[in-house]
Amino acid sequence: MNQTVEARRVEERVALTALFFGFLKVSLLGFGGGLVWARRIVVDQQRWLNDHEFAEILTLCQFMPGPNIVGITLCSGSKLRGPLGAVSAVAGFILIPWTVGLAFGSLCLQYAHLPILQNILGGLSSAAAGLMIATGIRLLMPQRSRQTALLFAALAFTGMVVAKLPLLVVLFGLAPVSIAIAGIASPRVR
Amino acid sequence: MKDPTASLVLAAHLALLSSISFGGFPTVLPDVRSLVTANGWATDQEFANFFAISQIVPGPNMILMMSFVGLKVGGIPGAITSAFATFGPPCLMYYTSYRLWDRFRDRAWQQMVRRGLAPLTIGLVIAGGYVMARAADTSWQRALVTAVAVGLLLATRLSPLWILLAGGVLGGLGLLTPWE
Repeated sequence: MNQTVEARRVEERVALTALFFGFLKVSLLGFGGGLVWARRIVVDQQRWLNDHEFAEILTLCQFMPGPNIVGITLCSGSKLRGPLGAVSAVAGFILIPWTVGLAFGSLCLQYAHLPILQNILGGLSSAAAGLMIATGIRLLMPQRSRQTALLFAALAFTGMVVAKLPLLVVLFGLAPVSIAIAGIASPRVR
Repeated sequence: MKDPTASLVLAAHLALLSSISFGGFPTVLPDVRSLVTANGWATDQEFANFFAISQIVPGPNMILMMSFVGLKVGGIPGAITSAFATFGPPCLMYYTSYRLWDRFRDRAWQQMVRRGLAPLTIGLVIAGGYVMARAADTSWQRALVTAVAVGLLLATRLSPLWILLAGGVLGGLGLLTPWE
């Protein structure tokens, strides 16, 4: 499944600077949800990882504490170039955007109450929400042939949105069942 | 106000909270808020503003938000220690667990776990987007923006930046405000 990506990785290693600037871009573009941009840049544009590998990293990061997007950055960097890759990617993600954001944000804090700013922010967040939903649907596409996968994606969605359960309850409640069914359903498990 | 001990107390709390923030840093925001207001480091209104601004500035939102708190408590050094306290401990945990995960890559149980967990994760992403939409879409015009954004990202190769920009411009022109 991962052979194409694996083969490409052997012949040309991703440069550390490419990781730095790639995740700098993810960070700078990541209004209201870095995940949208992380997937677009890592999977669609740079083809560093495929959708399966990206979903795997996302899964691992969701089960860990802390800012998931930083985890995705770190794991992608680590997968492509080891410890140095992890440091380059995280530095790219944080260093410049943090500095600029702190300066710009301190300035903005003085104007946070203006109505026009509120309206712009409102429009931005509506669009951002749509992009987030679309990214989830994109990630689901490689799984669409597995009915149980679709079922558990729907259950997780329902648990959060309809039943309004806490995230931890949804994750640790559904995970054992989903894993068990994946184990039964896949005949090739040795 | 610029008290170095306060910065360290804040950093220690943030380091602890970031280590237990399963499901992302927003889950521990209520704890940070009570810490900050109880110590008189910032008012409720200031805290809300830190949140709003960190959401519109691109980049690492939660790290930035904690840095605004740190800036208020201890100036630039306070901002830097807060940032490190927010992303340092989780980074160490991400790194260690990813190495462990990678080491057992070919085991059958791991493939099973992967196949079982991936759909849950994806369902949560879509749920996250839906919850954001419910909060943001205070008018049918805004709900329309969300729906169009979904369609455009799925059906075209248009950059998400244009979609966001369009949402911001429509909002700035006052076209998305609820009609009375």
